[in-house]
Amino acid sequence: MNGFWKQTVLVLTALILAVGSAHAGKLEAIKSRGKLVAGVKDSQPPFGYVDEQTRQIVGFEIDLCAALAKKLGVDLELKPVTSATRIPMLEQGAIDLIAATMTHKIEREEKIDFSITYFPATQKLLVKKDSGITSVADLAGKKVGSAKGSTSEQNIKKAQPACEVVSFETYPEAFLALKQGKVVAVTTDAPILLGIRNSDDNPDAWAIVGEDIAAEPYGIGLPENDSDFRDFVNISLMELWKSGEYQKIYDKWFGPSTKFPIPLTWTMEIWP
Amino acid sequence: MDSLWQWCTGLFANWGIVWRNFDYLLVGAYPQGPLGGLAMSILMAVVGIFGAFWIGLGAGLLRLSKRPWLCWPAILYIEVIRGTPLLMVIFWFYFFAPILMGHSVPETESAIVAFIVFTGAYVAEIVRAGVLAIPKGQMEAARGSGLSHAQAMIHVILPQALRNMIPSFVNQFVSLTKDTSLAMIINVPELTLAARHIYTRTMKAPMEIFLAIALLYFVICWVLTALSRRLERHLARYQARTAHGR
Repeated sequence: MNGFWKQTVLVLTALILAVGSAHAGKLEAIKSRGKLVAGVKDSQPPFGYVDEQTRQIVGFEIDLCAALAKKLGVDLELKPVTSATRIPMLEQGAIDLIAATMTHKIEREEKIDFSITYFPATQKLLVKKDSGITSVADLAGKKVGSAKGSTSEQNIKKAQPACEVVSFETYPEAFLALKQGKVVAVTTDAPILLGIRNSDDNPDAWAIVGEDIAAEPYGIGLPENDSDFRDFVNISLMELWKSGEYQKIYDKWFGPSTKFPIPLTWTMEIWP
Repeated sequence: MDSLWQWCTGLFANWGIVWRNFDYLLVGAYPQGPLGGLAMSILMAVVGIFGAFWIGLGAGLLRLSKRPWLCWPAILYIEVIRGTPLLMVIFWFYFFAPILMGHSVPETESAIVAFIVFTGAYVAEIVRAGVLAIPKGQMEAARGSGLSHAQAMIHVILPQALRNMIPSFVNQFVSLTKDTSLAMIINVPELTLAARHIYTRTMKAPMEIFLAIALLYFVICWVLTALSRRLERHLARYQARTAHGR
């Protein structure tokens, strides 16, 4: 107990003393502090979630961040974020970058910058197999679940103004509402829907349907107006793709032997 | 009847998930990672009530002052906080503190500050009520014996008043213990967020997981209330005896 308190006091003091360096370049700030602080999801298998055995946050986006930290030669610190907190946290400097299933939207460019796309997703619907819902048109007058602060929430309103959107904190909670019949569909990016569907006891009872409601290219969120840092992240992502390391990480989380198989059918934007 | 039984057992068939993750509910990722779960909830409640006691004592005494420049700031603080949802206070500290201080504040610390400031306003009212409940004659007699107002407060009024306030403090502490669940909104890894981590990973057994944490909260709060009842009985006996003794 004594050791624990000593440790707690030390950690608290260190946290109080740790004053974020204000407007120096992020790259230098990260190198001088010796760690990259990444904002990641902790409730979104397989992109970022808490592993049952190790109690650590793991996932596709965590491995991408680890590869970036390795290139910088620094440690990686993970900070869990939600769709609602991630942008304010980046603006404040609580995190250096966001790798949290965040769609690159022009609207978001006002506050932060983005890397090139590291995962191209499209928005679909998850419904009960025998529900008769096959497209967005069938949602008229019905309730649809999504997550607060997400692009899916806004897109579905535009695609089907006659439906009622019910927003939850996370997608698994939206799925629970679907199971209990509180909503007739959950809408978000297809890989997230696949993750939810395949985690269920009976995946075959659920179907991912509908046209592509919207393109949802995931980009790494970066601090506004820090060109050096953005260059580093972009070039690192391309290097990861060219060296085959990206494909290896992808295979680990989305390969045929995983719970969430999604064939790798796209090519990253590579600058000459 | 048979199908109802099956339905009931089916509804709660996944206790294994709760059992396998029980240590995560109790201490979070500790010691490999940050402290979390029930330990974090209790830690926040204990630090919160300790801080709130001093803030509340100060604000409560200031509010009792007859000098407007002492009493008005305290009234403003108490009324503003009591008229604001705790969730808002947590958000304020988390998103405004970095603007004021120029650097970001970790979630746990910022949540604890929010709990201290929020609970402090309620403790201030407890202190005020406790002091007002002491008969006026006590202060008059103390002043008459040559003590200053501050000395009379510290040596005569507060020792009596604070003893009477103990049940109310415990009540506030129980309330704060439950309120720590709100810290999940800024990703503090306390008990409710730990439950969500488990649920979102397994996508199974929401009933069992959330029932388990409800039980954990209940046990903690019930133990606290039971202790408070014993303490109350003990103090009542003590007071009665001293009264007769005189």
